[in-house]
Amino acid sequence: MNEVAIRVRNLVKEFDLIHSGYSSLKGMLLWWKHRRRETVRALKGVSLEVRKGECVGVIGKNGAGKSTLLGVLARVYKPNSGEVELNGRVAPLLELGAGFHPDLTGYENVFFNGVILGLTRKQVDERMDQIVAFSEIGDYMDAPVRTYSSGMVLRLGFSVAIHVDASILLVDEALAVGDIEFQRNCLQRISEFQRAGGAILFVSHDMRAVRQAASRVIWMREGEVEMDGPTEEVVSAYERSSEHQGPAGTPEERGLPIDERR
Amino acid sequence: MRAELKELWRYRELLWTFVIRELRIRYKNSILGFFWSILNPLAIVLVMTVVFKFVMNQDIPNYSAYILAAYLPFMFFQLSLMDSSQSVLIQIDLLKKIYFPREILPIGSVIANFIHFVLAMVIFFVYLLAIWLINPGDPPFRITALYLPFLMVIQFCLTLGISLYVSALNTFYEDVKYIVNVGLYLLFFLCPVIYFSEQVLYAEKIPEEMRGTVYTLYHLNPISMLMTAYRKIILDPQPLPALRGPDSDVTVLPSLPLDLPLLAVAAAVSVASLIFGYWYFNLKKWQFVERP
Repeated sequence: MNEVAIRVRNLVKEFDLIHSGYSSLKGMLLWWKHRRRETVRALKGVSLEVRKGECVGVIGKNGAGKSTLLGVLARVYKPNSGEVELNGRVAPLLELGAGFHPDLTGYENVFFNGVILGLTRKQVDERMDQIVAFSEIGDYMDAPVRTYSSGMVLRLGFSVAIHVDASILLVDEALAVGDIEFQRNCLQRISEFQRAGGAILFVSHDMRAVRQAASRVIWMREGEVEMDGPTEEVVSAYERSSEHQGPAGTPEERGLPIDERR
Repeated sequence: MRAELKELWRYRELLWTFVIRELRIRYKNSILGFFWSILNPLAIVLVMTVVFKFVMNQDIPNYSAYILAAYLPFMFFQLSLMDSSQSVLIQIDLLKKIYFPREILPIGSVIANFIHFVLAMVIFFVYLLAIWLINPGDPPFRITALYLPFLMVIQFCLTLGISLYVSALNTFYEDVKYIVNVGLYLLFFLCPVIYFSEQVLYAEKIPEEMRGTVYTLYHLNPISMLMTAYRKIILDPQPLPALRGPDSDVTVLPSLPLDLPLLAVAAAVSVASLIFGYWYFNLKKWQFVERP
């Protein structure tokens, strides 16, 4: 299988602070006083390729442009320049606060998430049993999502994303919240998904998870691809460079898992 | 703009799901559900009836019907604007994760409120029938009430246009929702909801030769025009006693017919506002996720 799922060429994304530096009229009036043009280049000409059936890990420090890259692939951001070619339906994994409304039940949320990911209501209905079975939520499906643990929400979100027939799955932040059994199920499901020709791009700071799941790793640094190659090679190079900066680094620079990014 | 509309059509299933979700969320945690949205107009009617009948000594028969005929549409406008001004910001985390036509959020809010409006109107007609059964006399409503859907469509266009504009603006400047709230409060008194539009024409403080102009200007505001039109197509023309002291003779002033050219202006303004709002929203929608 050599077909390309994602092809990105010379992708540039700038965030123009001049348009977004204020969120109130007061802010805008103050901004007029001392304005200066400031753009942040989040992606400085990124090129990469993901083939069908590949699971690619994206690593790098905070602010390296990993999430922006995923955002461009999910069509959330319009790139300033460069080409993006996506072959197949893209499904990002939705988290609590994003696709889920706390006051609605698990069923109602699955409906909304499934439709937003591109299914029809009928299709969601047909797949409901499979989605519920995989998420292992059981009877709690009738309870409002605010009563769920974060692990349960993640399970449900992952379960919907994996059942929408997407051929490209985008996962921001590792599936570290789930328990071991669920992680094993996820990994098994991911490899099934790969065998069926799906491509996965996942951002993680958990080097153990990256080593386990990724068939290839892309290391991003300051908006550019620093290294792109076999998992072990790239991960150990990244770990070496982090250690180089001494123990003063943040946990994720030392290769420890962290769950929250924001 | 045609490409945007095509994309919206492609996502119609999501729009519908979103509308259902909005309706569910609103009444999820309240037992009385839909009744709450009826309670507000009922309270207004009660207060106004008491004030007019007992405090101001004005006995206008069936006054509550005249209030409701204008207040229910006004409430649709008000709630749509308030909901949609927040609609994008509430979902900003979702917007940062996944693509879908962003206009679905304000459009969904307006459609959800429109469904409420339609239900409220149905209940309003039931109320008119009930009054007629208790107190048979003239027909409960005019045959011209058949034109109601036209008015509702015009108002839907106007409301959606302004809602799109406000929701895009409020995403960048969060002060906008406060300005909108104050504006809606002022608008409530600038529209014939708790009084009759003829009272503007016959206002004694306005010099006689200027009254016609003021009346026209007043109705160039599409909301005022729509409120007046709702009353005139649903209910019989109301003979208005002029505001005098309790001792003096009460002169009855004639009610005016529906001014069709002014209604046409309101319809044109409504369609223009929809086009502008949709255009402005699409212009700004890619910047929503890039706000700090």
